[in-house]
Amino acid sequence: MTKYFGSLSFLAGLLFLTACGGSKDDAIEEVRDNTAQVEAYYAAHPDFFSFKTLADLPVDLQWETGNHLPEIGSDEARKGGTQYGSLQDFPRTLRIIGPDSNGSFRPFILDYTTLQLAHRHPDEFDYYPGTAESWAVDRDTKTVYVKLNPQARWSDGKPVTADDFVFMFYFYRSEDIVAPWYNNWYGTQYTNITKYDEHTFSISIPEAKPDMASRVLELRGVPQHFFKAMGPDFVEYYQWKFVPTTGPYVIHEDDIKKGRSIALTRLDDWWAKDKKYWKNRYNPDRIQMNVIRETPKVFEAFKRGDIDSFGLNIAEYWYEKLPDHDPDVKAGYIHKSVFYNQKPRPTYGLWINTARPLLDNRDIRVGIQFATNWDLVIEKFFRGDYTRMDTSSDGYGEFSHPTLKARSFDIERALSAFARAGFTERGPDGILVNDHGQKLAFTLSTGYEALKDVLTILKEEAAKAGLEFRLEVLDGTAGWKKVQEKKHDIHFSAFNVSLEMYPRFWETYHSDNAYDDAFLPDGSVNPDRKLKTQTNNLEALAIYEMDQMIEAYRASDSKEEMIDLAHRMTQLHHDHASFVPGFYQPFYRVGHWRWFRFPEFFNHKHSGSAGQYFVHWIDTDMKSETRQAMKDRKTFERQINVYDQFK
Amino acid sequence: MLRINPQTVKKLRRFRDIKRGYYSFLILATILVLSLIGELLINNRALVVSYEGELYFPTYTRFHPGTDFGLDYSYETNYRDLQRKFKAEDTGNWVILPLVPYSAYENHSPAGIFKPDAPNLDLKHYLGTDTTSRDILARLFYGTRIALFFSLAFMAAVYVIGITLGCMMGYFGGIFDLLFQRVIEVWSNIPFLYMVIIVFSVIPSTFSIPTRVGILLAVLVLFSWTGMTYYMRTETYKEKARDYIASARIIGASNTRIIFRHVLPNVLSTLVTFMPFTVVSAITAITALDFLGFGLPPPTPSLGELLKQGTANLRTAPWIVTSAFGTLVILLTLVTFIGEAIRESFDPKKFTVYK
Repeated sequence: MTKYFGSLSFLAGLLFLTACGGSKDDAIEEVRDNTAQVEAYYAAHPDFFSFKTLADLPVDLQWETGNHLPEIGSDEARKGGTQYGSLQDFPRTLRIIGPDSNGSFRPFILDYTTLQLAHRHPDEFDYYPGTAESWAVDRDTKTVYVKLNPQARWSDGKPVTADDFVFMFYFYRSEDIVAPWYNNWYGTQYTNITKYDEHTFSISIPEAKPDMASRVLELRGVPQHFFKAMGPDFVEYYQWKFVPTTGPYVIHEDDIKKGRSIALTRLDDWWAKDKKYWKNRYNPDRIQMNVIRETPKVFEAFKRGDIDSFGLNIAEYWYEKLPDHDPDVKAGYIHKSVFYNQKPRPTYGLWINTARPLLDNRDIRVGIQFATNWDLVIEKFFRGDYTRMDTSSDGYGEFSHPTLKARSFDIERALSAFARAGFTERGPDGILVNDHGQKLAFTLSTGYEALKDVLTILKEEAAKAGLEFRLEVLDGTAGWKKVQEKKHDIHFSAFNVSLEMYPRFWETYHSDNAYDDAFLPDGSVNPDRKLKTQTNNLEALAIYEMDQMIEAYRASDSKEEMIDLAHRMTQLHHDHASFVPGFYQPFYRVGHWRWFRFPEFFNHKHSGSAGQYFVHWIDTDMKSETRQAMKDRKTFERQINVYDQFK
Repeated sequence: MLRINPQTVKKLRRFRDIKRGYYSFLILATILVLSLIGELLINNRALVVSYEGELYFPTYTRFHPGTDFGLDYSYETNYRDLQRKFKAEDTGNWVILPLVPYSAYENHSPAGIFKPDAPNLDLKHYLGTDTTSRDILARLFYGTRIALFFSLAFMAAVYVIGITLGCMMGYFGGIFDLLFQRVIEVWSNIPFLYMVIIVFSVIPSTFSIPTRVGILLAVLVLFSWTGMTYYMRTETYKEKARDYIASARIIGASNTRIIFRHVLPNVLSTLVTFMPFTVVSAITAITALDFLGFGLPPPTPSLGELLKQGTANLRTAPWIVTSAFGTLVILLTLVTFIGEAIRESFDPKKFTVYK
């Protein structure tokens, strides 16, 4: 299960369950109306919230519409059918903000299925319109002006208005949502929002970043009418409530079977269904997802045709479990596709908690770097399909460090690093011990059940360098909870990163996310600091110098300066040795039944997975044809396709 | 403590006469003894190394870094490579390896890719390898050893608690009996599996593997001792009411003496009959827990973990599931046969009306 932090910045909408109201709930909602409170908040922050008229709108703005870009998806796509998928865990909440909301289900209710003001084109990187109709960037005043599409509607029929974006700042800055990241981001990364009329507003940011438009265009409004009832009990109150969405899919209350299944239903009258960039996407009428906890069972379900597609990224599945000579593949019922994509890569690697005893020693961490044999894992377990990752910010072009290489497996150098930390003698089992009889052993945990074999290989190899890994394989949700509570020693995990121009550092490396008051004003370590939980700084990394650079990086509006800072921060992070870079895969692979169809070019350049842009469709005729063919033992041409146009 | 009385001798003789149970017992005992010296049979450490005129016996000693035998690395010697090297050099050095020269942990992939390999006699992977190219026979063997000793320890612990409390309840009766009956009723209604899962989710994984196995054992015992107390209680009640106990009391025997010298030997047959079935349930429990992922921490070899791998690779590597399943069937059958035989031989009625 991969976690998402890249695109944390927005909330679009939990669907409101029209059916869930009932008179009792309505009564409560009527009582709970925070409009006065919200307005008082606007009034208390007059610098931030401005209300003007259209006459005040600057006249010399260069409005862009993003309509020059190519369409997304394929004209051949047909609407209809049900897509069957699976979930490893039932979502812990239907909120998309607050505790437990950052799980693997979120893409289906936020990242992949709702509309930002504008989106990066998956081939061209430029923006095409979402809920915005046009926008204008004024670099001098560090302001982005936006005109909303007047047709834009929430799924409950209410129009999307500028008020939803003004309210967004109240919402994300509220303590009620229990989401410190959002509080910080929306509290520091924006300086003003001005409403001109129902559909026109502008947002200002503190620095004219090279990609400043993205700061605003990638926002999703928050439906104010729905959050009238928010208060200190936000987390519980909205736990299983679904906010109206700007996207095509809603979840009906009858489709939530807790612990078992959940389904998305397509809106027939979705406001954007005929828009240029949206018309060929989101094709299935219904997306049905059942909880199947174990990967092998998911695979069996796929082979039976209960599930339409199955990710074959792991070599074992691609080469052995669904080999090219598999009867279903040979008969052309199941297609195998490899797609080489281009995007910043998820950061698979070992995240070392530097707040733990021994692991706070840099020599130990350097030793761990040298004692971790990723090359062997890549060569023998992934069969050479993957590539070693060098830093945690690979794949950002010039923002990535040009020369830095991850440390390769080297027993001698690992031993000398451990020796510097006092671990010189090998115990009877070959594991190093220090003078106090302390063993060089750490827990290596993961939430990736499917990748647990990777850890057993690393363990065996590390033992050669006198280091013991104690393995702990958890289910996805429990594993993520463990690192979010910073209870891990070393955790094997990855952050999914969204398509951005340059890497982020604050989330993972700023001391604000490691400790409460990590440093005293003079830059020395605060002896009373407390570990901060529920943040993405999994290394508990707190370096005063790094903080300074991150702040400069966030404040910078010069691309050159940012590149220089990014390189220096990457170097510092490398020297700190608290992250053992793992591997990345330059492609994704899927097996899919022939009725689960993709465009001729398969997918778009920057897609991270086959399903991300929803360009696929279910061919219901082909499904019945295939079923019949399987009965009649009729076969089709074998389809094993490699799409390397972006390799 | 307990002298073998003629009654018991008779029972034991009868046990020997029930061939099925008796041979099962012999086989299981052999397996147990063999597993005690398992390191000499299945291990990647050599039995004997003769290097430069000196003999080394690395099996039970501390590890020998490669440098001890003129190799250029400081980690554990790979004795299979060493054997090949010595053979090639032909300088009078030699290595004797165990029958199966693999440990339960090492990844050994002749093809250079970690994947399940079918049984291969030349490579001495007699049952093939698992998903990360570890020898299945080695993992099965050590997994079985852990399961067997785990279940024996489990049985001992359950019996100690069960007998003590059961006897006390039966013997003292009254308030004590009443109180403990209620405690046991409440306690035995706590769902055991959930408790194991809960307890295991809060145990810090920093504990070493033996500690964690110990905790697992403790948790299992904690929720399994109750069943035994009931049988002991009724048996003790029954015995207590007999004349010989009354006589012992009149003579002035202490409670301890009465319980240990008079009551216990007479309820022994009940206990003995239950033993094998307790072992069976312990093996099943630990296998099931491993299968669910709540048992022994990876990479400890275990039957449940192998079964899980096997079911995950039914199509591609059927030899995993057949080995694990076969072992489990054999093991449980042996124990059950023994149990049946014991039950029959301790049955006071030699011929039932049905016979």
